[in-house]
Amino acid sequence: MKNNLRKVLLPSVLFVLTYGFWVSPDFKEISAGVAIFLFGMLALEEGFRAFTGGALEKILRKSTNKMWKSLTFGFTAATVMQSSSLVSVITISFLSVGMIGLVEGLGIVFGANVGTTTGAWLIAGFGLKVKISAYAMPMLVFGVVLIFQKSKSLKGFGYILAGLGFLFLGIHHMKEGFEAFQGSIDLKSYAMDGLAGILVFTLIGIVATIIMQSSHATLVLIITALSVQQLTYENALALAIGANVGTTITAILGSLSANVEGKRLALADVIFKVSAGIVFIFAMGPIMGLVDGIASLIGLADDNYTLKLAVFHTVFNVAGVVIMIPLINPLIRLVTRVFSVAPEQFAQPKYLNESSLEFEDTALEALRKETARIYGKATDVIALGLSLDKKDILSGTKMKRVVKAHDKAIDYNIDNVYTGEIKSLSGAVLDYINVLSVDANTARQVSRIRQANQSILIALKETKHLQKNMQQYIASENKYINDEYNQLRIRVAKAIRRLENIRNSTDSSTSILSLDTLKLSLEKSVNQLHERLQVLIGEGHIPSMVAISLMNDSNYTYNIIYNLIQANHNYFKSEEGSAEIEAEHNIALNKEEISSVLSENNQ
Amino acid sequence: MGMKKLLKKLKSYLDKDAELLEEKKEGLSKVLKKLKHKEKKIKKMIAVETDEEELDLLELSLKVVHTQRKKGIKLLSSLRKKEK
Repeated sequence: MKNNLRKVLLPSVLFVLTYGFWVSPDFKEISAGVAIFLFGMLALEEGFRAFTGGALEKILRKSTNKMWKSLTFGFTAATVMQSSSLVSVITISFLSVGMIGLVEGLGIVFGANVGTTTGAWLIAGFGLKVKISAYAMPMLVFGVVLIFQKSKSLKGFGYILAGLGFLFLGIHHMKEGFEAFQGSIDLKSYAMDGLAGILVFTLIGIVATIIMQSSHATLVLIITALSVQQLTYENALALAIGANVGTTITAILGSLSANVEGKRLALADVIFKVSAGIVFIFAMGPIMGLVDGIASLIGLADDNYTLKLAVFHTVFNVAGVVIMIPLINPLIRLVTRVFSVAPEQFAQPKYLNESSLEFEDTALEALRKETARIYGKATDVIALGLSLDKKDILSGTKMKRVVKAHDKAIDYNIDNVYTGEIKSLSGAVLDYINVLSVDANTARQVSRIRQANQSILIALKETKHLQKNMQQYIASENKYINDEYNQLRIRVAKAIRRLENIRNSTDSSTSILSLDTLKLSLEKSVNQLHERLQVLIGEGHIPSMVAISLMNDSNYTYNIIYNLIQANHNYFKSEEGSAEIEAEHNIALNKEEISSVLSENNQ
Repeated sequence: MGMKKLLKKLKSYLDKDAELLEEKKEGLSKVLKKLKHKEKKIKKMIAVETDEEELDLLELSLKVVHTQRKKGIKLLSSLRKKEK
């Protein structure tokens, strides 16, 4: 849909623009103003992206646990960045990896709507009254100098400064263009009264915003045109409504590549803005009265239409949010019904989508969540491969009893699940990693994820090797053989249970250190098995051929457990690097230290 | 805020390496505190555990946590020495 829309729109827009430039040089100046303004928005977005690798995400995570906090975050972010689009993209991205819920996401989007109203105030109150191009020049110069710096934050700050400079310059050219336009053409002669006028100008506002993909740019155009009386006040208000409705295009386009949660958020945003638009179109008369009342209350002159437009824009957005907040739950129920979740297909990645690729933090979180999903499925497969049930493994029942209850071999084809589901999903993880462009620090974390996936695949392969003999020998009539193979099953099952306990532990900060005990107990059990085998062979309980198989299978068991521990080790290590996590990594025991504890233990 | 704390803050503000060192020390201290707590918890569990196999594992855990703490304390004191 995104591509089709562009295929039709692009040639038409280019044609209209070319014709306009040929007919009117003033139109050229206005269009250049819009272009410079939009370029400024892009630069501003680029600048804020430099700060998204940490600070913004941390604030977002901490400040969205309550509705008022989500609203405040959305409001502040949109006010500071002067772009609700970037806020929407960040929100959808976070939503698609499950870092925030739909209610919080909606809160942010609502808050961002109110935040964008500050733009109208700035332009109408400040942008038109002073010669802002005078501010633009130094901003551009300082901005570009900073862009050439190596430091990421200086570069980001440079983009923000240059972006603001371009915004100011764009506004200046639009203003100049409209002032010159005034002499040649009177756009006011196209003004339309009544409901028809409101509807036509709302539609123009929607189309203009869809083309420019920025309600901010449309609003600047409206305000500058209004300031030189090229528009009537009523028509300008209708255009502002259109701009607000048209801005949903960003969320819609952003959600096309997002998962179902992202789509729900976009739909809720559309419903919110369209219904607010409809209410305001039909209640235009009384609302204009209300705006006049507020304007006179804050001391605005009757003919100060540009600031009155800012008042209207604020009333429009604030009223929309105030009406919508009590209706947030029915709204969520509605969008959940429209975009219901399809039954999960395991072979399809759940978190790896274009939306989560937008930011380093969300990409890493998506990779971690997908890896956790693969690990969960892999342990299901390992349990079934050993003719056990993961549910029973994870229950509190004694492991000997669990294994005893599953003493019959299950005919289960690991290969089918391995190639059909897990391998393809791990492949998707690798593909996702390949298109990821991240800084050195995140690259290390991503590499850990890759290693975790590799360990999971090895553990599965080893289970496949172990399965063959195990299925044969757990039904063996030789009690000793039977016992030894059940011991191997118990070891794997216990490792799965302990790892699960560590993963679910509330004190996640010492998870990585808890793995050391497992590593130690793994080494210890290998030694014990070798000692036991010597005795069993020596006493003639186990034929030497079976003993060789048992030794091989013991190695497979060791590899399964070792790789499951390694998968978790790398998974924990891929977590965001706080000082505490780094300290844990430094304290974790290495192979030599584990051997030394083991030998101390044996003494 | 005491003068000492204020000076410490100022030092870390002016010196990036000092700030990093301070962060490392804080991280280590927090983990060591948690490990101490964990050690106490395991000791309590050992006192009431009757299953021999579980007891074995708990004793192993206790040894691991003890070794980790020793390693952590050593790291922390080497960081403190570096500071001087």
